[in-house]
Amino acid sequence: MSTTVPAAAGEVREEVPRADGRRQDDRPRRMTDRARKERNLGWLLVGPAFIVMLAVTAYPIANAAWYSLFDFRLTDPDARSFVGLGNYMTILTDILFWRQFGVTAAITVVTVAVEFVLGFALALVMHRALYLRKSVRTAILVPYGIITVVSAYAWQYAFTPAYGFVNPLFGSDLDWFGGTIPSLVVICLSEIWKTTPFMSLLLLAGLAQIPSTYIEAAKVDGATAWQRFRKVIVPNMKGAIMVALLFRTLDAFRIFDNVFIMTQGANGTETLSFLAYRQTITRVMIGLGSAVSVILAILVFLIAFMFIKGFKVNLAEQRGS
Amino acid sequence: MARRPAPGGATARRRWSSPALRRVALATALTLSGVVLAACSGGDTSGAPQLTWYINNQGQQPLAEACNEQAEGAYEIETSLLPTAAAGQREQLLRRLAAGDQTVDILSLDPPFMAEFANAEFLRPFTDEEREEFSEGVLDGPLEQSVFDDTMFSAPFYGNTQLLWYKKSVAEEAGLDPESEPVTWDQVIEAAEATGTTIGVQGRRDESLMVWVNALVESAGGSILSEESEGRPADEVQATIRDEAGQEAARIMSTIASSSVAPPGLSTAGEEESRAAFQADDGGFMVNWPYVWTAFEAAAKTGAVDEGFRDDVGWARYPQVVEGEASATPLGGIGLSVGAYSANPDAAVEAIRCLRSPESQKEYMLTVGDPGAAGEIYDDPEVQEAFPMYEAIREGLTDAAPRPISAFYGDVTGAIQQGYHPPDRLSADSTPQATADFIEAVLRNEKML
Amino acid sequence: MSADRKGQVFWIVGAVVIIAYALIPVAWIVSLSFKAGDDITNQRFWPTDWSWENYQIVFESDLFTSALRNSVGISLIATFISVVLAMFAAYAVARLEFPGKKLLLSLALAITVFPIIAIATPLFNLWRTVGLYDTWLGLIIPYLSFSLPLSVYVLSAFFREIPWEMEQAAQVDGATPLQAFRKVIVPLAAPGVFTAAILTFFAIWNDFIFGITLTSSEAARPVPAALAFFSGASQFSQPTAPIAAASVIVTIPVVILVLLFQQKIVAGLTNGAVKG
Repeated sequence: MSTTVPAAAGEVREEVPRADGRRQDDRPRRMTDRARKERNLGWLLVGPAFIVMLAVTAYPIANAAWYSLFDFRLTDPDARSFVGLGNYMTILTDILFWRQFGVTAAITVVTVAVEFVLGFALALVMHRALYLRKSVRTAILVPYGIITVVSAYAWQYAFTPAYGFVNPLFGSDLDWFGGTIPSLVVICLSEIWKTTPFMSLLLLAGLAQIPSTYIEAAKVDGATAWQRFRKVIVPNMKGAIMVALLFRTLDAFRIFDNVFIMTQGANGTETLSFLAYRQTITRVMIGLGSAVSVILAILVFLIAFMFIKGFKVNLAEQRGS
Repeated sequence: MARRPAPGGATARRRWSSPALRRVALATALTLSGVVLAACSGGDTSGAPQLTWYINNQGQQPLAEACNEQAEGAYEIETSLLPTAAAGQREQLLRRLAAGDQTVDILSLDPPFMAEFANAEFLRPFTDEEREEFSEGVLDGPLEQSVFDDTMFSAPFYGNTQLLWYKKSVAEEAGLDPESEPVTWDQVIEAAEATGTTIGVQGRRDESLMVWVNALVESAGGSILSEESEGRPADEVQATIRDEAGQEAARIMSTIASSSVAPPGLSTAGEEESRAAFQADDGGFMVNWPYVWTAFEAAAKTGAVDEGFRDDVGWARYPQVVEGEASATPLGGIGLSVGAYSANPDAAVEAIRCLRSPESQKEYMLTVGDPGAAGEIYDDPEVQEAFPMYEAIREGLTDAAPRPISAFYGDVTGAIQQGYHPPDRLSADSTPQATADFIEAVLRNEKML
Repeated sequence: MSADRKGQVFWIVGAVVIIAYALIPVAWIVSLSFKAGDDITNQRFWPTDWSWENYQIVFESDLFTSALRNSVGISLIATFISVVLAMFAAYAVARLEFPGKKLLLSLALAITVFPIIAIATPLFNLWRTVGLYDTWLGLIIPYLSFSLPLSVYVLSAFFREIPWEMEQAAQVDGATPLQAFRKVIVPLAAPGVFTAAILTFFAIWNDFIFGITLTSSEAARPVPAALAFFSGASQFSQPTAPIAAASVIVTIPVVILVLLFQQKIVAGLTNGAVKG
């Protein structure tokens, strides 16, 4: 607890404050030469990556925020006018936005929930099966690596009445892409199929770090499989679960590829990302589209924030330990 | 965090040194070749100015070749195919022109989009002389939709119009004679109901729906947008579809869609689906473009219809909405425009001169089946033989009513497609009013589309 | 012992089910790609006649072959640059202390959750004024922005596991600093770098939004975007089977990478996400 603990190379010495709150040696802090060199080297190495990441995202986002304050149609540049928060008013008072917010939220909740359950099941199988473990891991990496667009086409074609195999298999003639709910079902299926492996791998990693002694002890105490699951496995995986859920939720909320390929947003399947795309690229209403993008970004950050606060798990702890 | 020795130690080292090096070498080689490929521009620096023509139908390519031969070095046209759907074509061209693409020399432009592109200054206007030249002998309909703000931006290439097709046997049974006297929509509906047949209309939620709505509204004497809306800014555009004409349109559409005369899948039917419905046993009537005439022949060859199917098919002018008032026939077609950023605008105009010539139009009409815009080709015996309905086509193109000429056409058509779909749920009381309000709100940026 | 074996049978059946789950849609798209012309409406899973016709159509089309070239080139270049930049950054994160480390990692995290569509549309505007629209560079730059966070995280996690003191040990044993680095550190770091490269490649190969908004011709359009623009042999036909064939072609590299490097990929995903 004293300041005589030798500092590791390059670390700034940790000082214990005096009772009156001032420093031990009441001199202005100075970094050691080595510390300064390390800091400069650190900045130098990190610099390029940092700059690229910042520049390529900061500029477009600032740009989007700026344009969102204008009524700006690309094909009518002379009519561009400043409207302040006008675009935001238009969006937030339009039932179309709320409808699509609902669709996006529904897709998110459904896919994440199903993926979580399925992913857990997959993780358990991979954890416990003694044989075929390698084959399973290889197999589930295929959905992970496959292009989302390809997955979208595969599922779309499977459910199209004209040439799919699903309808003949179940003897139905439902027009899957003729209505909102059936279309959403297929979209969710494609999304779930493709990203469950990712979820299951994260959960598997969490599973693998539970000491087997805990489980053995629970077995000895006479706990059933379900009780072991609930009381030993899940609580010890909180970190992994949170990370998995957080990333998947944010991904699901931003869904775009599957919707674009399968329905082009028709039949009420349009999501928020697609709304932003359509306003900006198809209608070339740059101002309005930028406002939708900004709103979407804010929503995503809000979700991330709520998640992190809600789970009360320190992300930094997860990382640096 | 505990630091532990790397797993495998010496073995790990041996396992990764040479394969790792090989991989690095491979990656570097691939990267370098990638960089080289990226740097390669592959530009053509031969004599004749290179023109790129963005076509919307592969059948336009032979025309380019024919004109290249005639050109004798004045230019060389290369074609590039756009997506099949009109909306896709618009999006592609819009993005390129918005990016100032210099390779967009000639474009096959769908006329309703011409105003939007012209307003955005993406098209090079034709001079007064060129306008005169390209207007000569052109039928009224195609001519009207190639002018915006009193300037010609698109040289009429071909026009297209819909006719009323019917099975002669069915018409006879119903006591209807569309050929000798014009019929109204109500009469057609009645006839179909009486004979238990269907009317093939395009109710799919895309541009074909807009064509139908526009034809109905104009035939009733009204219009979707007010007359003065053409050059006005977005927030001053007025939608007049809320008037009587719009109500009539809604009434007719909902009557057809919710009665027995509607073919199955009406609300997702395009031109091909309508044709299939007409070719079916219970098909009685259809409104469609003249391409179906050659398609019937092809269908007879593959056995989809009987040999003598075409003999039973009659055609007449598009049905009237108001009895006694001539119908405003639907108008389609393509115009040839010059991109504003083209590197060779003069050569492009020269090329267009050849491409839209009556000979070229005739060739296109005979091979692809889309009717030319020049009146004189309808006097040609070859054309008359291939298209026995040439008189009806020419008449249709002359009396046609183009879709609204507006710089905001994209939004207008989107709003109409939303308001007037699905056809079986329209109401003459509420739909026109709601749609008109919606159009205006969207253009004033008070609502999203 | 037999109870245990019964338990194992249960898990093995589960494993088989999972393999089927993963591979049936892939088998389906493969099967579609071998159905010629009207055979796609044969209402069955497998083709009645296996035919290479669709693959012919795909390879004869300019659209696809150029898209393949674009994708391969752009993905490799972007992956290479991303991994190199990330290596430096990860080295610093793993070994050095400096202010701003947390900021960097938070920024990286923030970028991974960002909705790409929000960046794509301003970039469309910017690129068209600057002249980078429809070019390889115009795609490589945004790809760097979203792949860097991934690479940095994965590499940081791997680099933290490396026993750096072995480098010093080698030097004590008489090696020069360069030799120590080359013979000790590089082989230890190589697997991590490799894994980061593969994961980054997958992410970039998969991109769709940038591909469709920042390109408009065969000059730079990558494969996922090209798939969406495929038109059929004739004006009215649905290009279903050719798209399936193109999809299969584009999935082959993925399958090969997965087969060869399954272990590394799993290690990278779990390391990078949970601990990184």
